[in-house]
Amino acid sequence: MSRLRLGLEMDGSSRGRQVHDIVKSVAHLSAVRGALLVSPDGFVIAAEVPPTIALEPLAALAATLGRDLEVGASKLGGGAFQTALFSADDGTLYLAASRIGFVVALAEPQANFQAIRAALEEAVTLIDSGWAPAPAGSAT
Amino acid sequence: MTAVLGRLWRPAVSRRPETARDLLGQADRLRRAGRFGEAAQLVVRGLSLDPASITGHLLAAYLHVARRTVEPAKQEFRWVLERDPSHPRALLGLARIALEEGDLEGGREALVRALRAYPDFPEAQALLDGLATRQPTPPPARPRLDRLRLPASARALLALGGDGAVIAARPEAAAGGGRRIARAARLAAAALKRAGLGALRRAIVEDAEEAHFLRADATLTLAVALPRTTHVTQGLLEINRLWAAAQHELAVARDAVAGATASASARRVS
Repeated sequence: MSRLRLGLEMDGSSRGRQVHDIVKSVAHLSAVRGALLVSPDGFVIAAEVPPTIALEPLAALAATLGRDLEVGASKLGGGAFQTALFSADDGTLYLAASRIGFVVALAEPQANFQAIRAALEEAVTLIDSGWAPAPAGSAT
Repeated sequence: MTAVLGRLWRPAVSRRPETARDLLGQADRLRRAGRFGEAAQLVVRGLSLDPASITGHLLAAYLHVARRTVEPAKQEFRWVLERDPSHPRALLGLARIALEEGDLEGGREALVRALRAYPDFPEAQALLDGLATRQPTPPPARPRLDRLRLPASARALLALGGDGAVIAARPEAAAGGGRRIARAARLAAAALKRAGLGALRRAIVEDAEEAHFLRADATLTLAVALPRTTHVTQGLLEINRLWAAAQHELAVARDAVAGATASASARRVS
């Protein structure tokens, strides 16, 4: 994965490329089938998943689940939601919260949990460092 | 000569005045790249040129959601729906906010409206599938799991039936979190299914303070909240131990019900 760069050093298109590189690096980890970055409104910002998976429905569910966990964590007073994994017989779905959305990885059952979790944490650090907080003004 | 100079000095970039449509199109491209701050500035400029633009207000709603500012997002989605009551994207947006807020019925209603207007809407269908609930188990069949104990290091323990209803909570006050856990488990199960991975079996959710370990099958979901410092292996051992204890108690309860039924039948025969 590329070294961490400060957001101030990058223009918008560099950040766009960087985010695709980050998703690609997660998707190419050993025993990982695919990865995506989905914004909190469910829009796919970058994806590298097998063509057999319908991307938009998965993104809608991942974003809704991510927001549910964020809101749940804040309501329980446990602090900000960070990462989650959901395992099934045929694989595991990983989810990590970043400033611009949720990083999702789909892994084989035999995937190394610690390696994927570390990769997701690094991906979130890279994304968050590239995206300074948005200006305080309203969107409208 | 003037005409020739004019052609030679014509600026490379057209200087036609910017239109709301151009600005909002550019804003949408930036939004799709995750560049929400820059997109928001263009939406503000676009809406100042065309305050009644549905596209502009929809983009504003998306950007508010992206910034996790829920109330303004809701207002923007509603603004769109006042002008176009079956706008699918606005309905989907409002449905997602309703789900976030725990308003399952509101979320379901908005999704059904969106699908009624646009039956081929995979995102709305996926979310609606994620909200599907099983019929509640009749009370006599619902075991109480009285012997299930809260581990010393845990803050809370919850057991949910196959229908998502709380069948045990330690302490009792933790029962309030049951609906949220049931909803998250349903959404996760739907996402796993969409990804072709199968049915939900285990989950670990980590926030800044706690690690939540969960185990599930079609009839039982068990979740325990442990300190964030808990090692994953330790957390998995703990949830597996609780799972075995809960399954044992469920088996005992089932045997007791079966025994009572058999005795009643025998009495009727004699």
